[in-house]
Amino acid sequence: MRMSNRAGLIAALVLLVLLILTPQIAPLLHLAISVCTEVLLFAIAAMAVNLLIGYTGVLPFGNAAFFGLGAYGAGLTIQFWHVKFFSSIGLGVLAALIGAFLIGPFLLRRRGIYFSLLFIAFGQVFYFLAYRFTDITGGEDGMNFARPVIEGTSFSPPDGSFYYMMLGFFVLIGILFWLLVRSPFGRSLIAIKENETRARYLGLDTDRFIFVALLISAAIEGLAGACYGLSIMFADPLQLDWHQSGNFVLMTILGGSGTIFGPFIGSLIFVIGSDILSSAIPWWQIPLGALFVVCVLGFPKGILGTILDALEKRRGGFGYEARDTLHGTVASEREIQP
Amino acid sequence: MAHVAPEIFNGLILGAFFAVVAIGLSLIMNLTGTINLAHGSFMTLAGYLAFAMVSAGTNWWFALAAAPILTVIVGVAVERTLIRPLYRRDPVYSLLLTFGLSLIAEEVYRLIWGTNGVPFSPPPSLQGSVSLGFTDFPAFRLFIAGALLVIIVALVVFLQRTRLGLRLRAAVQDSEMIAALGTNTQLLYMLNFGLGILIAGVAGVLAAGLLGLNPQSGNALLMPAFVTVIVGGMGSLLGAVAGGLLIGVAISVTTLFLPAFSEIVMYILMAVILLIRPRGLFGEEGIFG
Repeated sequence: MRMSNRAGLIAALVLLVLLILTPQIAPLLHLAISVCTEVLLFAIAAMAVNLLIGYTGVLPFGNAAFFGLGAYGAGLTIQFWHVKFFSSIGLGVLAALIGAFLIGPFLLRRRGIYFSLLFIAFGQVFYFLAYRFTDITGGEDGMNFARPVIEGTSFSPPDGSFYYMMLGFFVLIGILFWLLVRSPFGRSLIAIKENETRARYLGLDTDRFIFVALLISAAIEGLAGACYGLSIMFADPLQLDWHQSGNFVLMTILGGSGTIFGPFIGSLIFVIGSDILSSAIPWWQIPLGALFVVCVLGFPKGILGTILDALEKRRGGFGYEARDTLHGTVASEREIQP
Repeated sequence: MAHVAPEIFNGLILGAFFAVVAIGLSLIMNLTGTINLAHGSFMTLAGYLAFAMVSAGTNWWFALAAAPILTVIVGVAVERTLIRPLYRRDPVYSLLLTFGLSLIAEEVYRLIWGTNGVPFSPPPSLQGSVSLGFTDFPAFRLFIAGALLVIIVALVVFLQRTRLGLRLRAAVQDSEMIAALGTNTQLLYMLNFGLGILIAGVAGVLAAGLLGLNPQSGNALLMPAFVTVIVGGMGSLLGAVAGGLLIGVAISVTTLFLPAFSEIVMYILMAVILLIRPRGLFGEEGIFG
């Protein structure tokens, strides 16, 4: 955010070119194209988390519920109603939105750690629903389904074309996100993040703003989940689990919360890292856990946040707007506690 | 109805576990604002340590006392080195850190003791059953019920009747004020964390004998404990006990009649209670008492 718009635009264009060339580069690095698709989709999911952590100041440690609802929403409608490609994605987003409508009012009662506690608990409802209703969802084993054909055609995109479609979604969501956080609505969210009490005294109905942010986040999360379901043609309860939420939160913090590109960087490192590690060593969960510890203690501002900070220091500026609100004083958490 | 009574009793025991884990979580959460996602891992650690001791030939009773103490040492070391730097930061960091620790712990247990559970039976003196008049009941379950009751009562006495307990409750209210008045709050945080882990450790050893012991067994109690904290009212000791017992009984009875709903029932209960009482059963403002 604190990069000048021109530097940000150049970075975005370079990134876009690299992403367009990825299907040509990936084989040289022994990366499957499906892994590259995963990077994009997890980056979208982490952007949804970033909207809440980085711009609204609430901690969504149950967000994978919406991701999984997207995957199941797409999978179940393909399985039982034989819907086509884009409809299944739309229905996945709808499922995530319905989920957010149901649990949102419960979450909004509290702030701070209690918000996360409620989010973890209510998010698990969907995990157990998927886990228990074996007849419909396949239970613990998950459900397989075929990637459907695109509306009006008999073409079901293979992995290569699918990657480019997901790149399209990624760019679209990235632009919308950029516009959103610069809109009056986004500015209001940042105001809430910095000091909710003050925002309320200024006349903002903060509950409603946070609820709308939650719905937008859930829709983005649902989109990522539905596309992920179509990508691996599989949905299973672990996609809904709070462990998955923890992964998305890590990606956001690792890359740099409150920045536009942070979630992508976090997703890139997380997905490629765990892809390499999990095929190399059986106990890969240990370095993964260590990554959490190192990130929290060593790079609390995330990789991009740290780099931008260093650049800013060299230029002698004051830093960016949403700076340091995650590392602020104890006072802010105490105030927001219900 | 004859078969319902023992289920209710089993539910109460299960619920007492939820309550004890929830109390440990709340102790840590209320004082330091840390949601300890590694709480279940510490329970599992105590269970495995006790299992290792008993396998090495020590007495089960000795293991019941020693394993939680060793776990507390590990816990306090973790708190001092890793969690403490995060107290003044956003809660997201301690959440991520303890989540990472639980991932590491789970894999370490798997490497040392295997993916599948290990058998860890209670001592012979607790293996019989006791006649309760209407039904025979396993002695081990009765012992657990008694032990958990003792833990809860001891904790209430500690928090309500000792100077240290008073300081802890005061620090939850305003830790800066109590630091200004001359209490070493860092020491208090450490003791409080150790106390939470001690309770988790004892519960972990007991649970290992009753519910089984595998790399994820402690984590299985974590989610019900979260729900217990929410249902009982955040920050309420009495609420944690009432909420835990309520959830335990609800799960047991549902398992008997509608097994498909046995996990969902506690979330339904949670939603209904939050609709009626937004702060939970005994919810107050972050005060233990």
